[in-house]
Amino acid sequence: MRFLIAALWLTLIPAFAQDPGLLENSKPKATQRVTTAPIAPVAVHAGSSKQVELPFRVALGYHINSHKPTSELLIPTVLSVSPPTDISVAKLTYPAGEDRTFPFSPDEKLNVYTGDFALTALVRAAPTTPPGRYRVHGTLKYQACDDRACYPPGKLPVAFDVRVTKAAKTGRTRRNPAQSPHVHQ
Amino acid sequence: MKRDATVIVVVVLVIAGMLIAGKHLTKPQTAGASISGSNKAIKGQPAPDFQLMDLDGNTVRLADLRGKAVLLNFWATWCPPCKIEMPWFVDLQKQYGPQGLQIVGVAMDEGNAHDAVAKFAKEMGLNYAVLLGNDRVADQYGGVDALPTTYYIGRDGKIVSRVFGLVSHGEIEDNIRAALKQGPAMAQASTATTAAR
Repeated sequence: MRFLIAALWLTLIPAFAQDPGLLENSKPKATQRVTTAPIAPVAVHAGSSKQVELPFRVALGYHINSHKPTSELLIPTVLSVSPPTDISVAKLTYPAGEDRTFPFSPDEKLNVYTGDFALTALVRAAPTTPPGRYRVHGTLKYQACDDRACYPPGKLPVAFDVRVTKAAKTGRTRRNPAQSPHVHQ
Repeated sequence: MKRDATVIVVVVLVIAGMLIAGKHLTKPQTAGASISGSNKAIKGQPAPDFQLMDLDGNTVRLADLRGKAVLLNFWATWCPPCKIEMPWFVDLQKQYGPQGLQIVGVAMDEGNAHDAVAKFAKEMGLNYAVLLGNDRVADQYGGVDALPTTYYIGRDGKIVSRVFGLVSHGEIEDNIRAALKQGPAMAQASTATTAAR
């Protein structure tokens, strides 16, 4: 049996040794350069709105252009969202980028995001929205670089749930009669 | 027990055979195929041939540059590190062009990028061929996931080296010299001069 195992290794090793490409590849690995964390469901009454924070993380060693890069040639970070009917997403706010120089452009500052950053948006449910859970899908478009190279524009899917509850009663609702002051102290 | 071992041996032999045969069958034997693998693995392979449009609408074919050493540089207008190399390439084209170097820039901007690339090339004063890339040529050259990616191709049309990302002027020049040394110096291809602008 030992002889057989040794024979197997002797058979396989030349197969890999013949072409190192079978074992290693010096091409940069296509890694996820930007990620997002799970977003807690947004609870909102029908007919009202609520702000949601969308967190992102740029992997260590990379940067991406901010929403307002310093040159028109650079590709900005942009989030596009496609909410379901009756749900709207407005007032998308991007954080200000950080002006930084890099080894490849020591004389030119680039406005970038690194590490953690978050976008905010206002989620609104139409007054007629039936109570329930709705999923908002979106895509963060970005273009990442490191200190030596840049990578083709990337797309990161984003999704979060909106939990719509019955519209809060407002306006001319009948108020409870005043209660004795000693009840709520 | 003995029978099980025999079955294992046969299965492994078949897998090993398939691995070797698969790699041989997919290895580019002609210039039209694609390349992939480590720098060591691709060295000496024929550079995949392609036909791309230059900024004047002319079709440029890599095979037409045979006899010249080619610095094939994949770049994009949105790539700041790519921009750093360009003035160096302009100087190196002037310096080594008479010895048979042809620098070819392949712009990997998406969509209909002709105007943006042309404007950029003009602003940078590029004196070498600038072609409009596409997904096909990217696939031929292993995906081109990082920009700049530069291939150094010998006069015989075979790959001398490949570099991902920005490197020093000295390293670029060393690679150019190595490419100029590989393959016989042939009479200058007539189409090569049309590519260099």
